[in-house]
Amino acid sequence: MSHINPDFADDITKFGAKDFNLCFNCGNCTAVCSLSTNDATFPREMIRYSTLGLEDEIKSSLKPWLCYYCGECSSDCPRQANPGELMMSLRRWLTATYDWTGLSGLLYKHMSVYIGGMIALLAAVVGFIYYSGLSKEVVMHYGHLFEMFAIAGVFAVILLPNIIRMWYFTVIKPKVKAPIKVYFKALSELFVHMFTQKRFLGCEDTKENRTRWLLHFILVLSYLSLLFTTVFLDWFSTSSTFVIWLGYVESAAIFIITTVFMSMRVRKTDAMHKHSQPSDWFFVIWLFLMGITSFAVRLLIDLNLINTLFWVFTIHFTVLVQWALIIVPFGKWTHFLYRSFAMYFERIIGLNNQLKK
Amino acid sequence: MPENISNKYDAVVIGGGIAGQETALNLADMDYKVLLVEKELSIGGKMIQLSKVFPTLDCAACITTPKMSETARHPNITLMLNTDVIETVKTNGHFDITLNIRPRYVDEALCTGCQQCEWVCPKVVEDSYNSNMVGRKAISIPFSLANPKIAAIDMEQCLHCKKCEKVCVPKAIDYNMQPKRVNVEATSVIVSTGFNLFKPKNKPQYGYGKYPNVIDAMQMDRLIAPTRPYNSLLRPGDGKVPDNIAYILCTGSRDSSIENAMGCSAECSNNPICSQICCMYSIKQAQLLMGALPLADITIYYMDIRAFGKGYEEFYQQAKSMGVNFIKGKVAKVTPKEDNSGNLILRYEDVATGKLKEVKHDLVVLSVGVLPNSGIVKTFTNQKLELDDQRFIKQVDELVSPSLTSIEGVFVAGTAAGPKDIPDSILSAGSAASEAASYIKRFSN
Repeated sequence: MSHINPDFADDITKFGAKDFNLCFNCGNCTAVCSLSTNDATFPREMIRYSTLGLEDEIKSSLKPWLCYYCGECSSDCPRQANPGELMMSLRRWLTATYDWTGLSGLLYKHMSVYIGGMIALLAAVVGFIYYSGLSKEVVMHYGHLFEMFAIAGVFAVILLPNIIRMWYFTVIKPKVKAPIKVYFKALSELFVHMFTQKRFLGCEDTKENRTRWLLHFILVLSYLSLLFTTVFLDWFSTSSTFVIWLGYVESAAIFIITTVFMSMRVRKTDAMHKHSQPSDWFFVIWLFLMGITSFAVRLLIDLNLINTLFWVFTIHFTVLVQWALIIVPFGKWTHFLYRSFAMYFERIIGLNNQLKK
Repeated sequence: MPENISNKYDAVVIGGGIAGQETALNLADMDYKVLLVEKELSIGGKMIQLSKVFPTLDCAACITTPKMSETARHPNITLMLNTDVIETVKTNGHFDITLNIRPRYVDEALCTGCQQCEWVCPKVVEDSYNSNMVGRKAISIPFSLANPKIAAIDMEQCLHCKKCEKVCVPKAIDYNMQPKRVNVEATSVIVSTGFNLFKPKNKPQYGYGKYPNVIDAMQMDRLIAPTRPYNSLLRPGDGKVPDNIAYILCTGSRDSSIENAMGCSAECSNNPICSQICCMYSIKQAQLLMGALPLADITIYYMDIRAFGKGYEEFYQQAKSMGVNFIKGKVAKVTPKEDNSGNLILRYEDVATGKLKEVKHDLVVLSVGVLPNSGIVKTFTNQKLELDDQRFIKQVDELVSPSLTSIEGVFVAGTAAGPKDIPDSILSAGSAASEAASYIKRFSN
């Protein structure tokens, strides 16, 4: 028996959904979607579930993650019911649902909590740097250590349990009993999608979509490699010219591409960028700040000015802490994992169905 | 014709379609003097183009031509064809109307409709009566069932070879005819300007104008009418007899995405409302096609079937039992099949099963919706004839007196006030006529 949550429509509105109950079920959105296939038809089904409040069906569905928001469904919708934005809001809702701490939901629904958290971390960092009495070298060393421990900690305490929850909701609870070898066989899907966002290229082949994919692809690669460069190659302390230049290129790519993305959100150039939520803004702005402040810190080190202009490092460190403790575990960053794991689980379910036949 | 008649009328009816004719006849039968103004060369409106009418499958021409003759010959009705309303001014309770009669270059009083001119004319032009699927001559009777049956020259296309002038026995042809301004005075005005069909090019997803085997429903109605263009039912792309026909309902109705696709407004604006006729005319055409092409498959893609009138649901059920396929799902895209066969692929979600489908058809008919044709309001200069939200003529007392407008003495009949089928248009015309009659009576006392 299906459980109906009559408040679901109101709830999802807080995650950004708009007008979706105007839908009269014509199926135009599903038919116009280039990514929708007979194995996974969307978005109409998700709209139907949302209007009816079939929360469990949405919770166990991977479909919201299969959408890359090209926006064709929204522009062609005869009711202008905004199916694309509903899918986006469902992704936010799922992120909140997967999160065992419940903090994601709070941050998505209440901007005040988001801002409050950011300010608290700012105070903590500034307090630590200026009142702990530690020398600048030690602070920078701690900064590096923080990065390592934050990554490990956030992953172990928040992200890993959340992915296990996602797996439980979407694979185990719907009673998909896939043998272990299927999990191995499907593993390539996880990494291909994680690093290439290949599925996005399945959207209608337009110049805008290709450019958007390329920019996003470069951004992901730059972000991941900058992470590697700072954490494992110790960019801020290294003397290897190659590593220094690598870091410059990566951080520059990040702030340049995020600038492009921010301008798209300001100009509302396409359906995807028309309805920006606070979580979208925090994500893109903080990524931009990460890129530009790390670039600036390394530049100051190379110019031997870091000791006189130490406040630049303070800003960088604040941004880093806010990024690592709020946006990565509870914000939009998680789509990086959930999307690729959704593709992985979808593949497992598909392979398992083939085996059964 | 008009100069030797008085310029005072009890009522001026603007638009000579089925609603305008009905209103004019009702008033004329009550002994009121009526002027019927029509912008085309013949009265008849959209109905005279149709094959049959739903749900009785009566021949449209057989119903409407007697009415056209009656209107044209009624002693109390004056016809003014090829005429535009320039201005309507309300003064001291009556209306002063300025009209412009465009020249047809054939003397209406002399022409006998013998068609000799048509046979000798060397210039072929598109036949708009047949939705431009075939040609006619630059001088011709507007269409076979035209009333009055008087030739006219399309001067923009005319070669000035004067062959028609030589062959015309009553010497009716006059190349120097000039437009003529006429002023008339009327006690009341009835607006029966009808509707426009949605232009299917404004829904580019369906490829009308790009793929020749995508046609609109008016073209299909012409193809199945007894006076049809090819004398056989052929698809326009290559003349093949179609055997797998698709109907896409709600093309340009109940659709608020049109402005997104076209990046425009006003001339191709969104149309969120139901056109009320497309379901039924598509079902009618499907039934007629089953008779004309017994081996053809016919599929109607719909969002909802709205069979609300008397006998309509039965008509729908009858189509189903005849074997017409009804599939719930709005077609998102029409693309050509890549084998140059001229066939088309329709992509849609079968809403009943939730499955995505891509299905081949060899002829696609777009069931285009009803849009307002209310440019006439601009000609009311000293008082405002208001429009409703959808830009149809506003009915100020829609439930109680549906033919009243924002100007006292101006009444609305038929689809000028909103989408209607033929029976409802005639009902509405009756209502407008009685409201107008009572107004004229009160006014003259």
